[in-house]
Amino acid sequence: MAFLTRTRRSRRAKPAGNEQNRSTGGRESTVPSFRDMALSSDLDANLDRLKEIFRDCSDIVFREFLFAQKEQIRLALVYTDGLADKSQVSEQIMRALSLEVPVAAPEAEITRANALHFVKMRGLCIHQVRESARVADVVDAVLSGDTVLLVDGHAVALINGARGWEMRSIQDSQTEVVVRGPRESFIETLRVNTSLIRRKIKNPNLKIEMFKLGEVTRTDVALVYIKGIASVGLVAEARNRLARIKIDGVLESGYIEELVQDDPYTPFALLHHTDRPDRVAAYLLEGRVAILVDGTPVVLLAPTLFIESIQTPEDYYEKSQFMTAIRMLRLLALFLSLTAPSFYVAIISFHHEMLPTALLLSIAAQREAVPLPVFVETLLMEIAFELIRETGIRLPRPIGMAVSIVAALIIGEAAVQAGMVAAATVIVVALAAIASFAVYYSGSVTVRLLRFFVLLLTSVMGLLGLMTGIILIVTHMASLRSFGIPYLYPVAPLGSADMKDVIVRAPWWAMFTRPGLISKKNRRRMAQGLKPEPLPTGGERHCWRKAGLTAGRPVFCWSRFFLPARFCLFRFSLCSTPVRTPGSQLFLLLSAA
Amino acid sequence: MSKRVAFLFLIIVLLGLTGGCWSRKELSETAIILGAGIDREPDGKVRLTLQIARPAAFGATEGGGGGGGGGAMVGTVWVVSGTGETVFDAQRNLSLQVSRRLYWSHNIILIFGEDASRQGVREVINFFSRSPQPRETMWVGVAKGKAEELLTSHSAMEKSSAQSLGFLERMKAGLFVEYKDFIRDLACPGTNPVAPRLELLYRGRHEGPVMELGPGYHKEAVLTGAAVFKDDRLVGWLDESETRGLLWLRNLIKKGAVTVPSLNEPEKKITMEIIRSKTKVDPYYDGEKASFEVQIRVDGMLIEQQSKEVFTDPEVMAALKKSLAADVERKARSALEKARDDYAVDVFGFGEAFHRKYKKEWPALKEYWDEEFARSDVDIAVEVRIRQSGMQAGRLSIRRGAER
Repeated sequence: MAFLTRTRRSRRAKPAGNEQNRSTGGRESTVPSFRDMALSSDLDANLDRLKEIFRDCSDIVFREFLFAQKEQIRLALVYTDGLADKSQVSEQIMRALSLEVPVAAPEAEITRANALHFVKMRGLCIHQVRESARVADVVDAVLSGDTVLLVDGHAVALINGARGWEMRSIQDSQTEVVVRGPRESFIETLRVNTSLIRRKIKNPNLKIEMFKLGEVTRTDVALVYIKGIASVGLVAEARNRLARIKIDGVLESGYIEELVQDDPYTPFALLHHTDRPDRVAAYLLEGRVAILVDGTPVVLLAPTLFIESIQTPEDYYEKSQFMTAIRMLRLLALFLSLTAPSFYVAIISFHHEMLPTALLLSIAAQREAVPLPVFVETLLMEIAFELIRETGIRLPRPIGMAVSIVAALIIGEAAVQAGMVAAATVIVVALAAIASFAVYYSGSVTVRLLRFFVLLLTSVMGLLGLMTGIILIVTHMASLRSFGIPYLYPVAPLGSADMKDVIVRAPWWAMFTRPGLISKKNRRRMAQGLKPEPLPTGGERHCWRKAGLTAGRPVFCWSRFFLPARFCLFRFSLCSTPVRTPGSQLFLLLSAA
Repeated sequence: MSKRVAFLFLIIVLLGLTGGCWSRKELSETAIILGAGIDREPDGKVRLTLQIARPAAFGATEGGGGGGGGGAMVGTVWVVSGTGETVFDAQRNLSLQVSRRLYWSHNIILIFGEDASRQGVREVINFFSRSPQPRETMWVGVAKGKAEELLTSHSAMEKSSAQSLGFLERMKAGLFVEYKDFIRDLACPGTNPVAPRLELLYRGRHEGPVMELGPGYHKEAVLTGAAVFKDDRLVGWLDESETRGLLWLRNLIKKGAVTVPSLNEPEKKITMEIIRSKTKVDPYYDGEKASFEVQIRVDGMLIEQQSKEVFTDPEVMAALKKSLAADVERKARSALEKARDDYAVDVFGFGEAFHRKYKKEWPALKEYWDEEFARSDVDIAVEVRIRQSGMQAGRLSIRRGAER
């Protein structure tokens, strides 16, 4: 106990110093306070100051030249070599200002006093130019790839958005592959990523708020949401959680994920991550926020529900019936990957009576030669599999393939042949491994980890342990929140209207509301009654006329029952326009099925 | 916070591990019992015979596991036998012979020896109800002779004689009795238990190119009828034909055939396959004597015909149905008369039917129900319906015009 108090005391003693460290954020004291400085109207003074700031930064380029060939008006360019587009800088800035302006404009009008106006309005051929009078802006702009133009005699810098650096082209998604659906995925450049989202949502309500996180790295982070759909509270909360972050560097969105998630200890992914713009767009349309980080293609999405780890973007592009079946398959896979090895151990070492005699005898025959208890054997196989998987990922791709094949062959084939491992164990472990890949990757990582926890409990208590493990896990999951939304929603708490997208994937015309807890106010996603239907036939029209109703109004109509099936999808929907509550839609869907 | 979580985690893990591997039983340390037989020694001791699977031999078909060289049928089971004062006592004594923990849950069949059955099975079956391991769905049979002999035989078809016997009962061609049915009949005053009769007989022989290596002809355990109990004591047997009658009366006919001579050519036969059947028993009581009306309704399919009648003729059909019904009735009656007149036991559950209908009279009668049953009248009415005539209506193999 003594050492506990000591640590606490020492921790308490420190903060004062820490705070100071934080505020300066580890920035070196050689450039103590340029953040508050303003530019001066003297070009040489500005250049000296910037050169001091960028001392020993060999990639910063300073270039002085004359405006319109006039000796008295000097200009200076500052940019980062490799980040600025060199051809633009030389053609659209230098060439335009020094050579083309004199030809185009009457020379006499250009004076030192109106030089800035001339440069900006008549000289620069750059699409995006903004002004700033602060040194800090200049520094940030240069380091972000912009080209800064300083005009002698003016205490203002023109920041030219002539960025251009080497970047990856947009490729297929590496982590979420679809058969039907867009092929593009995010890349490492934030601006390209936001453009991919903007291409999908052409609406001024798509807001992209920028943050600079990382005191040293000054990484651009974008908070993206659709105003009017995302609830105000959620956006404010996301903003607060991002603004709270004080860290030296943000190299990947994982840094942010762990700093903003609701439960710091859970193994579950409380923020979904994806590299697919269509997934981000879909989530934004449901009223969620996306957090984009410059330098990584992985985008964070919040709030997240657990069930989303078995959903793919393709679920919404392919036929609903088929994807419903696939979803059930994935649920099974989720369950199998968590429990298959444990179930196997439980049955083989505790509950022999649960197997049919013939199967038990066949397994007993395999186990006859195996020297290890089944738990140890399964654990070893699990570890072996994780090893194969890990090496397969880390090794250079061509070798990785070879290694995983050889390893799988040796362990799967030779170990069984040598009688070290029962064939049934290999089958079960392989099944669990395969099943874990049917679940979305971040989900499968969690499940693979928890599999060992459940396996340990099972080895001690059999099926009782398995159930204990599952209960503990589910209890924990029920306690989780993602940006305030219960993680198990809409299963627990039950959101019956949102069950349309959990086990079944209802047809699009039936999913006309957004998830209830997430999009609090703006719930309607589409117009009612979009279910494609043939025009009413004679009998039905007659029926409406008799009832004094027009098409589209709910009406009980006996002719419904006597119509040939091909004219109405749901025989037993008593209304020509079924009552459009999500629950009834689901009921109709099920009753039709 | 993190420390508290760490402590909690540690406590949970350690708490789990303190249990050790509670009730863990490794499969390779388990002796899986496939069949059990109970005999009585002359000195009154119980002899328990266990047929235990040898897993190594069971997996040998695929060439993995134990040895090489294909011998799939070599020594698939190990049979041990031992005596004790009770069944469990005998099992404990067997533990000195068996190197693994005996495991009852996969026991397929429980066989009572003839001696044990005649002395009463109630004393020896209590273990199977009390112990959590044996299943109530295991099959029950009575050996003609010693149960031990049946279990020491082997099957050419299945991997062990216990499996063979279990599957024979499961086919439901003969009498089939699960342990739970057996003890229910035993507990019920309105009926007496029956069980299939099991015998070792020369039946079938396996043939192949290298048969000179060993005998292809050996005794196999088969079903040969039924054992009739009075309360818990074996009193006699029913042969195979009478067992069919027993099944008809007990409403247990699942499949089978009825064969009758042709109407015009009695030396030629006609066979109907049973699709489904339903037996209804209606008791009547006039205060003095019980009587029963048994209604048997059979749906069948004409499956074989040696003669040349054409059954599209309604009259011929009616006559055939009548003849089939008479055959069913004859079999049922033979079983009834054997049980009622020779052994004076109700093994048909008529007492239960009586109890359901005459609740007030039953308490007075149930003590001596078998005597009451022995002097009852039973009326059997059979209705046969032929639903299909197989893949043909007439006989294609008859030359055209021959029946004219």
